[in-house]
Amino acid sequence: MMAFREQAIKLGARDSLVGVLSLPADAQAASDVPAVVILNAGIIHRVGPNRLHVQLARALASCGFHVLRFDLSGIGDSENRPDGLPPTAAALADIREALDDLEASGRTRRGVILAGLCSGALHALLAAEADPRVVGTALVDLYLPKTFRYYRRHYWKRATSVTSWLSFLRGRNRLWRAVKYQLAPDGQREAFLNAGAPDLGGQTVPVAFERAFLAALDRGVQIFAVFTAGMEDQHNYREQLLEAFPRVPFGERLRLEYFADSDHTFSSEVLRARMVRKVGEWAASAAFPDPAASKQPPGTPMT
Amino acid sequence: MNPFYFGSSSRRLFGLYSPAERKRSPGRAIVLCNPWGREYEWAHRSLRLLGAMLSGAGFDVLRFDYYGSGDAAGEPADATLAGWEGDIQAAIEEIKDTAGATRVALAGRRLGATLAANVAVRNRAAVQELVLWDPVVNGDAYIQELWNMPPDPSLAAWHLAARPAEAGGGHELQGFPLTETLAREIRALDLLGLVPALPDRTLCVASEDRASYASLRSALKTRPKGPLPFDHMPSPPASVARRDLGAGAVPVQLLQRIKEWLG
Repeated sequence: MMAFREQAIKLGARDSLVGVLSLPADAQAASDVPAVVILNAGIIHRVGPNRLHVQLARALASCGFHVLRFDLSGIGDSENRPDGLPPTAAALADIREALDDLEASGRTRRGVILAGLCSGALHALLAAEADPRVVGTALVDLYLPKTFRYYRRHYWKRATSVTSWLSFLRGRNRLWRAVKYQLAPDGQREAFLNAGAPDLGGQTVPVAFERAFLAALDRGVQIFAVFTAGMEDQHNYREQLLEAFPRVPFGERLRLEYFADSDHTFSSEVLRARMVRKVGEWAASAAFPDPAASKQPPGTPMT
Repeated sequence: MNPFYFGSSSRRLFGLYSPAERKRSPGRAIVLCNPWGREYEWAHRSLRLLGAMLSGAGFDVLRFDYYGSGDAAGEPADATLAGWEGDIQAAIEEIKDTAGATRVALAGRRLGATLAANVAVRNRAAVQELVLWDPVVNGDAYIQELWNMPPDPSLAAWHLAARPAEAGGGHELQGFPLTETLAREIRALDLLGLVPALPDRTLCVASEDRASYASLRSALKTRPKGPLPFDHMPSPPASVARRDLGAGAVPVQLLQRIKEWLG
């Protein structure tokens, strides 16, 4: 039986972000664990795909965590920001403001875990780089640079797939599209080559992510990274994270899972239950650093 | 916009109240009724925009999540249509109390439209106006439609998986539990049978030309108490995800039509 209570809140510097706090049922329970903030997956509002975020928040709250789910500006029920920041910078500014509010309510004494799926994982990682309140990240299907092993597995799978050959013969194969875009004007070629990569304001993913991982790990941030087979166009084996960032000393601070039977949004009840359980086990056992030990001020937004 | 919880302690519902930007006299309020399952996720953007347009036009607006859906308490497997119709009734009482409105309208999308029609017919004194947006006309056909919908290839392994009897049985449909109870209730839905008793101020607006809408259009046109409008406004469906967005389209012209009709 889960024991939690929930509050609807508005947060952020302009009270323009809408969220829900899931809290342990016992209001007096001393919280000696980090708070958890669950970020939007794409533009799905704060409940998450198939209500995954609600399920995760309630399970964690029942285990003593204070959990916030909220909508980034312009997503779900939150208003747009008036400052015209580009999307990634706006998301990081929203996250920082949400953490400010959590801190003001005394919920971040043991730091904060940022959890996110897809774009939520991207935002969690980049926020963890700059904000010393972040002591852990749960990154689900984070966009990864492709490695040699990725391509070998990808093309072997396609070479042995009847469907791929039929697509090729019908002219609908990615190879044909590649040829077509090679003949296209420069702008279109660029768009094709970068299809699926997050917009980091001109920075490349390998550089930006490596820097973020190094900074976070340097502060002792614990990382739970989950990858699913549902994003085969981006990653297709468990160790791709390690091989994509060979200079990052993840060591014991990384717990890595690969769900070969799962789709990207954990669309089945069985998959969701396992995902929630795995995050809970990690959050309950990881050796999170003491955020008070960090002297760095919260980072400034990307511009 | 004010997020809050309302309802009984055993059935807490999540609501978003948008007060009228300019008050009318007498006050007018509207409750928006969500669709079910993935259609709820994908249409969230459209319903938010509709709420914003209506509050801007002088309506007190309440959007809310049924028990077991969205941010409301409960689990998806707890969902029953009888319970959800009770939730719509609770939402009506809530906005009357909050906004002091004397006239309340219901606007629902897909399954939410048909539930709103049920509530409006059963409680004629409480609901003066009704908007049916892409309503489910026949529950059996609706389930068949969802059943036959080709799943996203990445979901294929889980689409229509059988659920254990101790968890309500039934099947997983697009990632949501369609329990035996819920399936039975949906199959019993019959919007055509409600047409004669619908409020005199009812608008039906359709973004798609579904087979079932021919009979609905005819029933509305020949309604004994007077015809009711059926507007076909072709637009990308709000409840079907565009792959590049992970959410449905926002049919702005259709939303505009709803706002204008409500006046």
